Amino acid sequence: MTALLQIAARSAWNRRGTLALVMLSIALATALLLGLDRLRSDIRSSFTQSVSGTDLIVGARTGPVQLMLYAVFRIGSATNNITMDSVRAVAAHRAVAWTVPIALGDSHRGHPVLGTTAEYFTHFAYGDRQPLELVQGRAFAGTLDGLYEAVLGAEVADKLGYRLGQHIALSHGMVAGAGEHADHADHADKPFTVVGVLARTGTPVDRTVHVSLQAIEAIHLDWAGGAPLPGLTIAPEHARKFDLEPSHVTAVLVGLKNRVAVFNVQRFVADHEAEPLLAVLPGVALDELWAVVGLGERALLAMSGLVALVSLASLVAVVLAGLNERRRELAVLRAVGAGPRHLLALLAAEGAMVTLAGALLGAAAAAGVVLAAGPWVQQRFGITLQAAAPTTGQWALFGAVLLAGMLASLVPGWRAYRLSLADGLSPRT
Amino acid sequence: MLSIRELQYAWPGASGPCLEIERLDIAAGRTVFLHGPSGCGKSTLLGLMAGVLVARKGRVDLLGQDWAALRGGARDARRAEHVGVIFQQFNLLPYVSVLDNVLLPCRFSAARSRRCADGPVAAAHALLQRVALPPSLWPRRADALSVGQQQRVAAARALIGRPELVIADEPTSALDAGLRDDFMRLLLDECRAGGSTLVFVSHDDRLALHFDERLSLPALNRAPS
Repeated sequence: MTALLQIAARSAWNRRGTLALVMLSIALATALLLGLDRLRSDIRSSFTQSVSGTDLIVGARTGPVQLMLYAVFRIGSATNNITMDSVRAVAAHRAVAWTVPIALGDSHRGHPVLGTTAEYFTHFAYGDRQPLELVQGRAFAGTLDGLYEAVLGAEVADKLGYRLGQHIALSHGMVAGAGEHADHADHADKPFTVVGVLARTGTPVDRTVHVSLQAIEAIHLDWAGGAPLPGLTIAPEHARKFDLEPSHVTAVLVGLKNRVAVFNVQRFVADHEAEPLLAVLPGVALDELWAVVGLGERALLAMSGLVALVSLASLVAVVLAGLNERRRELAVLRAVGAGPRHLLALLAAEGAMVTLAGALLGAAAAAGVVLAAGPWVQQRFGITLQAAAPTTGQWALFGAVLLAGMLASLVPGWRAYRLSLADGLSPRT
Repeated sequence: MLSIRELQYAWPGASGPCLEIERLDIAAGRTVFLHGPSGCGKSTLLGLMAGVLVARKGRVDLLGQDWAALRGGARDARRAEHVGVIFQQFNLLPYVSVLDNVLLPCRFSAARSRRCADGPVAAAHALLQRVALPPSLWPRRADALSVGQQQRVAAARALIGRPELVIADEPTSALDAGLRDDFMRLLLDECRAGGSTLVFVSHDDRLALHFDERLSLPALNRAPS
């Protein structure tokens, strides 16, 4: 058998050019499969960890996914606001540790503006309960003096090239498709000063401009029903003299003293009589949401599975095509005492070795790309690619490529077996 | 040495047998010339003698053992041990050195190895020298040699470890007249020296006078052609 393996190696080396190409295509397919799966699992974990440490999100009654979409991902808009009275009622529940109200609806050059309280920066967390961190400056003060202060998400600051102390103007509503080039700023009369920039999180926080709830009130003093009141302008300094406590907010983030009470509080919110409310568990709703947006990612994986299939088919095609030329070689081996089983083993071994080498090369390439591109992807997209040991799923993919390659190599092996039986000593070519 | 009784062989899918031989005996150490026109079943008969093909009817015994009575693996091992084969052309593995080509049978059969008195490598050297291949060619790839040189390497491979039966299937048809006569002399001398029985197939009747026995396959074969 060792004699046969040596011959198999020499024979393969003799056709190294072709086999190297096949090996390369298997390596690419494997790298694609493993890389995509790594990306998929890491995107999934970034996605489902967009919020952590928040036990409930409470908003006007709508669908849970809808509430998550606007409260966390700033996509779409709220069907209704909730009153501050309701927020206070929730905050008064004995199981509730903290509440952070949020108000959405304005934007800055296509980036959503989030009105909230200073507690947002201490209570909001993402990933594995990682708190928000400031890379520059400080959080907004939340006082009348610091009324027009803004804290930028990492992406906003990067994309627009903003620095501390810069003045920015907000727009009313999310201008669809306006993007960063929309200079239309209907709240330009009350400019904000950038006082802080947050570290990148890989969550929607990066795309958000954070201001205080009072600031949201202030810029809407001279507005009614979504439009400026004709003939009424209130100067920025003048606005400080008004009562800026909001009467309505979009939603409220709720933290509990003990997670055990989460369903109690959820029912308490649902039974709130003053107005119809909905409380969702972020983890559950994010999983539901992923089930919707995860479809595309599964299609991608299916595509790379097809790529793997094609490269294995090319392995079979290349070995089969070469078989006719090798019939004499096989006849020589038969004459010196190799059996048809040996020839089957010879060709199967060759295919298996090419597949193994290709798959290993592909796995190494995938790991290399994750290592090399990891920091860049984190910087650019906020997705942490883990250069960790392969997951069970990735081992399974790797095993599937190997198994499929070995099975595919049996096809030419079986053909050689049949040919050598039919040929006898002299190949009829 | 080799005996055939009541043999009938049909290729798979063929309507009738292509070979039907009632009786054929070849004694040990003889050199036999088997001739007949192309397509009369010479190569098929050689395949049956070497145990590569197996007859459904009748017996083909080599050294008293019916090939058909052995299982596939045992047949292959027995062939490696007792039979050397030379083809018309393309005898060698092109990607292996000349020396390794000669050593191939010893890799598949320990018995052939053991029969080389000073070890397979020494035996291969001696054989290559006797077939007049200079040592400078031994480490070369087999496909770097001329056709005549390749046939001589094939003879050395068939003869290493002194197999009881050497089968040659028109080994001279790709050689010109001068090379052919040299090759014939060399092959016959080496078979006689090693005590191997030689069954030599050709359609070239001029070669017949070199041999102890001459057999005409059309005369032996009773299958309707």
